[in-house]
Amino acid sequence: MNDLHKIQEIERYLDGEMTAPEKEAFESLLRRDPALQREVSSHEAFLSQLRAHGSRQDFRSRMNAIHPKAITPAQPAPTPVVPLTSRRRTWYSIAAAASIALITSMATMAIMQRSAKNSITDKYEDVRRVLNNIQRSQNAIIRDINSKNTGPANPGTYGGTCFAISRNGYMVTNYHVIAGADSIYLQNNKGEAFKAVSVFEDVSSDLAVLRVADSNFRSAPLPYTLKMQPSRLGQEVFSMGYPRDEIVFGMGYISAQTGFNGDTLAYQVSIPVKPGNSGAPLLDMNGELIGIITGRQSTSEGIAFAVKSGHLKRLLEELPKEKFNRKDLKQKNQLSGLPRVEQARKVEEFVYMVKVYN
Amino acid sequence: MHIEKDQELLHRLAANDDKALETIYLEHYPMVARMIMQHNGSADDAKDIFQEAMIVLYEKAKEGNFVLSSRLKTFLYSVCRRMWLKKLQSGPASTALPEDVEESADAADALEAHLEKDAQFRQMEAAMGKIGEPCKTILEEYYIHRKSMQDIAEQFGYTNAENAKNQKYKCLMRLKKLFFTNI
Repeated sequence: MNDLHKIQEIERYLDGEMTAPEKEAFESLLRRDPALQREVSSHEAFLSQLRAHGSRQDFRSRMNAIHPKAITPAQPAPTPVVPLTSRRRTWYSIAAAASIALITSMATMAIMQRSAKNSITDKYEDVRRVLNNIQRSQNAIIRDINSKNTGPANPGTYGGTCFAISRNGYMVTNYHVIAGADSIYLQNNKGEAFKAVSVFEDVSSDLAVLRVADSNFRSAPLPYTLKMQPSRLGQEVFSMGYPRDEIVFGMGYISAQTGFNGDTLAYQVSIPVKPGNSGAPLLDMNGELIGIITGRQSTSEGIAFAVKSGHLKRLLEELPKEKFNRKDLKQKNQLSGLPRVEQARKVEEFVYMVKVYN
Repeated sequence: MHIEKDQELLHRLAANDDKALETIYLEHYPMVARMIMQHNGSADDAKDIFQEAMIVLYEKAKEGNFVLSSRLKTFLYSVCRRMWLKKLQSGPASTALPEDVEESADAADALEAHLEKDAQFRQMEAAMGKIGEPCKTILEEYYIHRKSMQDIAEQFGYTNAENAKNQKYKCLMRLKKLFFTNI
């Protein structure tokens, strides 16, 4: 059966023009041939579409016949012939003004968007400090004179903070502070300087362990202990660091359980930090060490990030046991219950400025 | 009740009563035209939108199970408002239209169904536009106006109904091809 014949048969079937035996034959053919079945239903749908189209056309022409009788309201603003030119001129100037405004605002938006994009890329910034001669305070120099330990003559290229984790000279700071260092010097608040070496670096958590080069180095027992449990939101915290050559105390609170971009290794802390605070200890009100300041969000004030102390613990377990005395951080906490000024006074001794030369 | 009167009008509209169509048309067109012309539309826009809305109404009425839940006036206004809003949004400048005082839920549903079918109608319109004469008229006469093959044969000067019928099938196949290749 060719296509033409097929369409004819389908249509006769649909229109009910077939004789009874013809219909029976066609139906039995339909049952055996699903392709034909589809063709019939598609043809039926097509015809109904055609008819619906036709009925729309008819309805349109009926409406068009009525339309001239309908009352069309006058245009809201009738336009007389004479003022048309002036009106047109006004429109031209309005259009010109509008297009200038449009271009200006588009350009502004483009610029704003670009600068917004830029600011997104450098949202996170390390808070190590670039040192230069002018930034050095007189304070340190005077102490240099008083002290027998003379610091290096060169003021150093980068600065950060570190703090003691043992009595025999092990310190923790940020990896980014000492990255690429030729030599590292530590300086305490009295201006005493010590040469140090990096003994362990962990890039992923941005932590590094330093050791004072002088193997006879001994300090008083550490006043703080390492806190194992994660700290909760709203926990009040304080930190001490060297954003300048003088130790600076800062206070704040844990503002989120994750750090920059949801980094689960870190806390978000609402605390003032400046370049130089990198590697500063973050302690809670009981004097327990809960984290290490690593960076801040450059786009907004008061958002800092600190690596959680749990990660520091994991790091310390990898240090050689014979040299690093882990018990030093598990001594009795000397800070709990003390007024804040006393806590600060005790912690101060164990926080050092890191100077990096490269 | 107004709604009952409107429902009665609707029945007559579905039955292709010209008088009912005229009543509905003349009563509601000025309202819609005013709304559209106050919102950046021309008289032609108003005519197009209103007639489209009337088609929605007509086809709904013909389906037979359409029961008005609001006044005809509300329904038509609502459909027109939505259509015009859509057109404005697709254009370069978008203008805020007045909020519907009484939103017609029927209108939203009907319009949605209408827009779904719209693509196919456009397709059919395009296919019919392309097929050319005499096919267009033959198909219209037979399938839409349901004239007998005998009448069509006489109208187009075919010697007998059988010849006309063959011609009709050829036309139909061409239309089908046009319709389906464009989809």
